[in-house]
Amino acid sequence: MSPQPQAAVGAPLSRVDGRLKVTGEAQYAAEFDVDGVVHAVIVDASIGRGRIAGVDTRDAEAHPGVLRVIHHRNAPKLPYRDNPGSNNLPGRRLRVFQDDKVLFHGQPVAVVVATTLEAAQHGASLVKVDYDAEQPSTDLAEAEAGEPTKYARGDAEAGLRESAVRMDLTYRMARNHHNPMETHATIARWDGGKLTVWDKTQWVVGTQTELSTVFDVPLKSVRVINPFVGGAFGSGLRCWPHTVVAALAAREMKRPVKVVLTRRQMYFGTGFRPSYEYRLRLGSDQRGRLRATVHEMDAETSSYETFEEGVMLAGQMFYSTPNVSQAYRKVPLDVNSPIWMRGPGFANASFAIESAMDELAHRLRIDPIELRLRNEPAEDESNGLPWSTRRLRECYTVGAREFGWDRRNPKPRSRRDGDWLIGLGMAGAVYDPNNMAAKARARLNADGTAVIEAASSDMGPGTYTSQAQVAADALGLAMRAVDFRLGDSLYPQTPPHGGSMTMMCVGSATLDACDKIRRQAIKLAVEDEESPLYGAKAEDIVVRSGRLHVQGTPARGETYQRLLTRNNLSRLEADGSWAGPSDPERHSYYSYGAVFTEVGVDATLGLVRVRRMLGVYDCGRIVSPKLADSQALGGMVGGIGQALLEHTVTDHRDGRIVNADLAGYLVPVNADIPEIKAIYLEGEDMQADPLGVKGIGEIVQVGVASAIANAVFNATGRRVRELPITAEALL
Amino acid sequence: MSSELPESSVPPPTGADEPASAPTRRTFIATTAVGGAVVAGGVIGGTLLLDDDVAAAEAPPESRVSLTVNGTRRTVTVDNRTSLLDLLREHFGLTGSKKGCNAGACGACTVLVDGRRVNSCLTLAVRLEGAEVTTIEGLAEGDELHPLQKAFIEQDAFQCGYCTPGQIMSGVGCIKEGHTDSPEEIREWMSGNICRCGCYVKIVRAVEQTAGRK
Repeated sequence: MSPQPQAAVGAPLSRVDGRLKVTGEAQYAAEFDVDGVVHAVIVDASIGRGRIAGVDTRDAEAHPGVLRVIHHRNAPKLPYRDNPGSNNLPGRRLRVFQDDKVLFHGQPVAVVVATTLEAAQHGASLVKVDYDAEQPSTDLAEAEAGEPTKYARGDAEAGLRESAVRMDLTYRMARNHHNPMETHATIARWDGGKLTVWDKTQWVVGTQTELSTVFDVPLKSVRVINPFVGGAFGSGLRCWPHTVVAALAAREMKRPVKVVLTRRQMYFGTGFRPSYEYRLRLGSDQRGRLRATVHEMDAETSSYETFEEGVMLAGQMFYSTPNVSQAYRKVPLDVNSPIWMRGPGFANASFAIESAMDELAHRLRIDPIELRLRNEPAEDESNGLPWSTRRLRECYTVGAREFGWDRRNPKPRSRRDGDWLIGLGMAGAVYDPNNMAAKARARLNADGTAVIEAASSDMGPGTYTSQAQVAADALGLAMRAVDFRLGDSLYPQTPPHGGSMTMMCVGSATLDACDKIRRQAIKLAVEDEESPLYGAKAEDIVVRSGRLHVQGTPARGETYQRLLTRNNLSRLEADGSWAGPSDPERHSYYSYGAVFTEVGVDATLGLVRVRRMLGVYDCGRIVSPKLADSQALGGMVGGIGQALLEHTVTDHRDGRIVNADLAGYLVPVNADIPEIKAIYLEGEDMQADPLGVKGIGEIVQVGVASAIANAVFNATGRRVRELPITAEALL
Repeated sequence: MSSELPESSVPPPTGADEPASAPTRRTFIATTAVGGAVVAGGVIGGTLLLDDDVAAAEAPPESRVSLTVNGTRRTVTVDNRTSLLDLLREHFGLTGSKKGCNAGACGACTVLVDGRRVNSCLTLAVRLEGAEVTTIEGLAEGDELHPLQKAFIEQDAFQCGYCTPGQIMSGVGCIKEGHTDSPEEIREWMSGNICRCGCYVKIVRAVEQTAGRK
């Protein structure tokens, strides 16, 4: 942090955009009033694999209001240049309306453009598509895996053989869909060769580069705007086919086009957290110290792209283990491509690893926390680096105390409350926050207000608020004098708004820009003979509430306003940047947590209800405590969904997702959530970045599913190794 | 072809002047949406059968409807397939009411019709002759926010903000109905509104705080 006094950072402030959100004035992608806009509805493939034999658009085109139906036979060829550095996955990205191939159920095969939404929707139902259908392969358990990504240290098989205690456990995790409340949507408008899109995305720069390469137009000719994101959790990390459809249709129609995915289309029009089969073999000594672990992970990907996520890291660094081997196999299926979802990789790995540790603790009759403490590594054993900060022990201690862990009876099925079997469970959590280069631009106006711009996003964590907090302190301004702007590709480039990196990367760039401006102003003052600060030492000067003064001598100073006005300056400006990870890394950076929960399981119905939950987190400095608390509770709610409700049911005969709606794909509702609580350990990680933050958005979902599974075991004596944990598994 | 069940697949009536009191399927849809706003309606979805009999070449039937939205009387001619939600968002520019599922399962579109909370995505606009509709845009008194809007900001009862207008309108209904005697009761009666960011604990606090002040 800068030498500035901290007033805004760390204060429990309300959201700066709160009023816009509670009055309905915040504008999301589909809500921009673009003159002359027409509506487009996508027709999606009703087979899981094969070819389009024919498209009959006569009825659709005859429908009043329908302007045109675009499909592979009349669509222009698009360049689809490579887009390196994007979040496109290795492989060959889906190219809309470029050929007759159907790669998965729900793939866009046509789009109906009409003057009204009603006409476009009805028109879409009138397009008749004939197919030559083939049998799709959509079952993870049946399909063949690709070449594995491997990791090894020591000799894991030998380590297992030599271990006194051996376990061989297989865990299965269902596919999860992000299901943000706002469905993905795009409005596209061409003005000559220039394209403007209002697109739901976590990365306006990513949509910009994708459209630039798909249509082969200069990057500068594409502008992407998205000031508010109605949730995303990862679904907005890459540019999806419907965004190209909107831009393509707008170009063909020579007028702006709006595409809003239906809830159903979200299930194959955007990505998902892939389903997993995770086999974990572990060996330990009689005291529970791990000797060896062997991790075999199979996860679904699409036939046209290979999706990978950080599912291997936890198995390499979370516990001290001399012998580790891992094989991570991607299984290509006739489905659309997955994408990272909250706590990517770690949320799945932790279900396997943290359930297995609970199983080991039970077998050895060791308290689960004690077992974890016995396996705490002194350094990152995957690379030999020291930890920057790793306060996992404190997470366990504080959590155990606050939650009342000592009241847990280690004997399963030993507590009852009427019909309900009561159980307590816990799990450790870890996440590797991403770190990429970012930029920001700051401007201090002569009236003492400031504007900071960065092409970032705010999908809910409160970027507007927390970045303004950083800027306010660095500039020495009140929060109300700071306006942080984001969600426009014209602003300085930032990495994707995901992977828990916005505070670290964009925040550090914001801090840099604002520090530079403050220093410019101080230099101006101490060199200005007319300033009361003339001749003072620059390093002695601080700024509070827009007034520069000598530290300890508040009387000697002046405001930004006076200083700039006297010097005939309308503004001071500075560009800030964050370089990303240092090379080579000198520390190993992770966020940590411990999750505790109490569940009730209906003894006859098998129904699981979460009764209490506590998360304790080591995430470095918390910039915006009120908002960070919300984020943690939200992550736990997401974890409860992953643990007990969320799964996608695919009809393997034709690859159709049977429950592609919110009545069939269940997510937690209010009645599912009891009073839950989060604690962030006070502190900072100054090795990580100048703000001392480590990122919180992902870690808060990690470990929840395993804590619940462990509590279910404690309640019932039944070990469920498959997510979600349903009543059927407990009957 | 899409197997979607959009509201447009509800067959438009042959005569636009059909009396509102006739117990037609459409009446059933509208009244169920009004009465069943709290819980997602499988029954409601079940009535929305795909109907390919609609003559494609005919001009879509339109109707005139007069309704009051946030205190302003408005008379419009609408495509009979238009939901109240689409009327608000696409025709009136009132985008505060959100489309989350268009099937009555998420509550993001919740508005008050004649004082009762309804899923506006399941309510056909043409059924609302003479109705009084209040949306999130009409909740504040000028610059003075409704107490529940203030409570949502104070309690930080939202993150992305997309479900928020629906949560607040539903909360206003919940308080008015008197379903606020305990956190458990609030949870139950606010369960028709999904918040994917997971702000439920704070939504309950905001409703509780506002109900307590009444």
